Amino acid sequence: MSQTVTDPPTSEVGHTPAWVHAARWGLIALTLLGLGYVAQQAIEAGSWLIVIVVAFIAMSVLVVYSTRRAIPAKYLLPGLVLLLLFQIWPIVYTAATAFTNYGDGHTLSKDEAVQAIQAQSVRQDPDAPRYGMSVAIPEGAAIETGELSFLLTVAPAEDAGELEEELGEGADAGGENVTGDGYQLFVGTEEGLEPLPAEGVELRGNGTVAAAPGFRVLNLMEANQRAQEVQELAVPVGEEGSAVKAATTSQAFVGRPTISYDEDADVMTTAEGRRYVAQDGNFVPEDGVGPVLPAGWTENVGFENFRTIFLDPAFRGGFLKIFLWNLAFPLLSVVSTFLLGMLLALLFNDPRLKGKAVYRSLLVLPYALPIFVTGLVWAAMFNQQFGLINEVTGLNINWLGDPWGARAALLITNLWLGFPYMFLICTGALQSIPNDVKEAAAVDGAGPVRTLVSVTMPLLLVAVGPLLVASFAFNFNNFTLIYLVTRGGPFDSGNSLVGNTDLLINFAYRIALESGTPNIGLASAVSIVIFGLVGIISYLGFRQSNALEEVN
Amino acid sequence: MKRTTGAVAIASAAALLLSACGGDSETPAGQTPADTQDAAEDTAGDDAAETTEDDAAAGGDAASETAMSDGTSLVIWADDLRAAALEDVAAIFEEETGVPVTLQVVANENLREQFKDSVGAGAGPDIAVGAHDWLGELVQNNVVAPVQLSSDLAGQFTPESVEAFTYEGQTYGVPYSVESLALIRNTEMAPEEPATMEELVATGQEMVEAGETELVMAQQLGQEGDAYNMYPYLAAYGGGIFPVLEEGGFDSTEVIIDSEETIQGGEKIAWLGEQEALTVNLDGSNTIPQFIEGNTPYLISGPWAIPQIVDAGIDYEITSMPDFEDGGETTPFLGVQGFYVSAESKNPQIAQTFVQEYVSRPDVQVALYEAGDRPPALVEAYDEVSQGNTDIEAWGAAAEGGTPMPNIPQMNAVWGPLGKATADIVTGSDPAERLATAQSEVEAAL
Repeated sequence: MSQTVTDPPTSEVGHTPAWVHAARWGLIALTLLGLGYVAQQAIEAGSWLIVIVVAFIAMSVLVVYSTRRAIPAKYLLPGLVLLLLFQIWPIVYTAATAFTNYGDGHTLSKDEAVQAIQAQSVRQDPDAPRYGMSVAIPEGAAIETGELSFLLTVAPAEDAGELEEELGEGADAGGENVTGDGYQLFVGTEEGLEPLPAEGVELRGNGTVAAAPGFRVLNLMEANQRAQEVQELAVPVGEEGSAVKAATTSQAFVGRPTISYDEDADVMTTAEGRRYVAQDGNFVPEDGVGPVLPAGWTENVGFENFRTIFLDPAFRGGFLKIFLWNLAFPLLSVVSTFLLGMLLALLFNDPRLKGKAVYRSLLVLPYALPIFVTGLVWAAMFNQQFGLINEVTGLNINWLGDPWGARAALLITNLWLGFPYMFLICTGALQSIPNDVKEAAAVDGAGPVRTLVSVTMPLLLVAVGPLLVASFAFNFNNFTLIYLVTRGGPFDSGNSLVGNTDLLINFAYRIALESGTPNIGLASAVSIVIFGLVGIISYLGFRQSNALEEVN
Repeated sequence: MKRTTGAVAIASAAALLLSACGGDSETPAGQTPADTQDAAEDTAGDDAAETTEDDAAAGGDAASETAMSDGTSLVIWADDLRAAALEDVAAIFEEETGVPVTLQVVANENLREQFKDSVGAGAGPDIAVGAHDWLGELVQNNVVAPVQLSSDLAGQFTPESVEAFTYEGQTYGVPYSVESLALIRNTEMAPEEPATMEELVATGQEMVEAGETELVMAQQLGQEGDAYNMYPYLAAYGGGIFPVLEEGGFDSTEVIIDSEETIQGGEKIAWLGEQEALTVNLDGSNTIPQFIEGNTPYLISGPWAIPQIVDAGIDYEITSMPDFEDGGETTPFLGVQGFYVSAESKNPQIAQTFVQEYVSRPDVQVALYEAGDRPPALVEAYDEVSQGNTDIEAWGAAAEGGTPMPNIPQMNAVWGPLGKATADIVTGSDPAERLATAQSEVEAAL
């Protein structure tokens, strides 16, 4: 960005028309409004990082477009923002994730995990009654703020006597809180359970309180406005720790959390006195026996994931095997599709051939079909027992069950899928090679083969070289084909992590989503390694294809 | 030129796959069989239904088009079949409570992942309909809230179905249907019910030799194997994956894949492979078609296969999987479908009301049965629909004595290695050695 940009020449001509100013400021305002909306959404979601980034972008927009200075930045900014959002950000995010244990069972923050474990540990008291429940506020209070209480009813039942015992003094009120048809009535607040005088109370058909003097019973949608508070309201009752809590909109249960958390010691203790200590993103039993508590949290693990990739024997051996196949597969794919495509292109480029348009459109057909269809169809055709290929050829090759068979199957499928593209670009490139060079070669006495090798091919390669590199890079990450045809298999006995036809990207996908304990942190680390490899290979490839340019 | 990072590639590839490949592919490693069953079921639906589902899947990927819990209406995510069945229930609920219900169709194979991801991001539905074996994973990531069923209500369901939705002593869902593997027989080709697996194989082989059929029997296995489909054999002599605890559930700290009992079951798998009753060339895409085309008289599959068989006009009978002559009792896994409440629901009490007070109603369970043809989990509803319905009675009988698939998250580490072991055993590996390898692999992954 140049600091010394002079005002554009137009300013010398005179004043810019007013509508241009208006439009410019209108657009700036519109952009800022949009960004403000995004920021607001981010604030609601609590993503402060996004807020900061959005604010930064907004400031840049204001600074760059509101002044007459910084002309180059006016052109560059949109591109830079997009580069930041769609190229840099994913890389940074992936890299950041690669240093965590983020994955199944480790998706929460520690606070969330602690809360989740406690919420999940709430158990019903097996002998306690089930209450009919209405949510109420004091009469005259506002729905949004009035203090919540539960109006509870216990249906007349044979075990009513037992209940009175359990409730102790609450039930001593005797007949006063019992309705004509035998329902017992209570008011539950955070302080505890009180009897509710039956006089003036109306019950609904399902045995819950419809109206009570001094209270305003909230209807379903009103109560739902305060659903979180209703959910958290616990009416202490009976033995220590037990509380009446909402089960549904019309029922309440008695239960208590069976796990408590000691924040200072960072220890979870169950009702039976078992202690769980925080370790590696989980609460693990202190005595080392038994499973960990279910909910875990994300934490930083440093270079652990990279250490796994490079030092874990199962991983390291598998990684090398996959890497070799990951080089061989795109290389063989590019060579085979290019050769077939080029030969066909040469053939169809012959001026003596009639009806070229028809042949050409037919040849492009495989390219036009969606790979999701063709991939699955080819997988079915390679079935050893029921597949078309063995049936037609009379062979009995175990295509998908044998490592080499599976690799061959993939190359054949990719040849079929890929040659039309090579055919297309070769046809285009061949047509752009002037005829005079070939004539010159013929005059010099070169035969057709010599012309092809020494004249046509070099000129062709100049044109299609970069495309071959691109095709290599595409096949380097050709996840879909592998996933549809072999799913990375077959697998060696005892190693279901590393498939014989896995590409690195399929391997990463399996670790991230399909393996026993999906581990996105580890998969991110693998992705970073792949990113590095693709970068190196692409650099070498382009340097090579630059060398080809020198033919000209 | 591709310069995307691996992460973006993974994400986009995953999105593409999830939205486009649908139920046609075979069992993905590590994905639980319930998904596969449902995938099979999806392909069973008529074309129109599939199209709408695919559309829904494409739409479901865009967050803006997917209904989320917002505190003004009850949002339920279900696949197309169940969403259709829930329409009446939703209408009743709206009428009785005044709370509007939004039914969002989410393609079956995406439901688990989307439910998990969206709730993890603090959004998602109030209620999701899904299989019980997702439970451990959902609890681990705090996706679902406990459902405090009254003991009265819990007692109205079959005990296995409630147990299936119980994790570490806590209940997290309300069940509505139970399914398991059974033997489906083409009564035109094989009028007699085989008394044992041996008899089944002998009859099948005779028919193959006589040129009447091509296959002894059809059961899904695939190159990568299938632990769900092979479990009835592995558990036939008391073996299995994890030991069953007395108080219900499984003890995930001990793996019994290399136990003597499991190996005895593994030997039966090897024998079935030798007899060409099992083959790795039958996978999710071609197993049921083989039966429909009349290439085999026997199919071992679940309720999801029935719609296709009925469409093909085949006379069939459902019976429990036969046992072995030497006393080995084939024991299929039970899969239970039910309703989960999101831990991030904005309407927690209303959602709980729906699952506890409406899903448990007999008429609702019957309506859900009519949409899915699986035996209801509510005893009263089961008694009602099994009256004079031999299919449902047979499915009920097949499920009797079965154990629910473990719902612990550790199962994800078992499906892949154990499945591959079963495929290898069928193709000739020694059961004892191969199961020992699987044991060490599973132990290493846990």
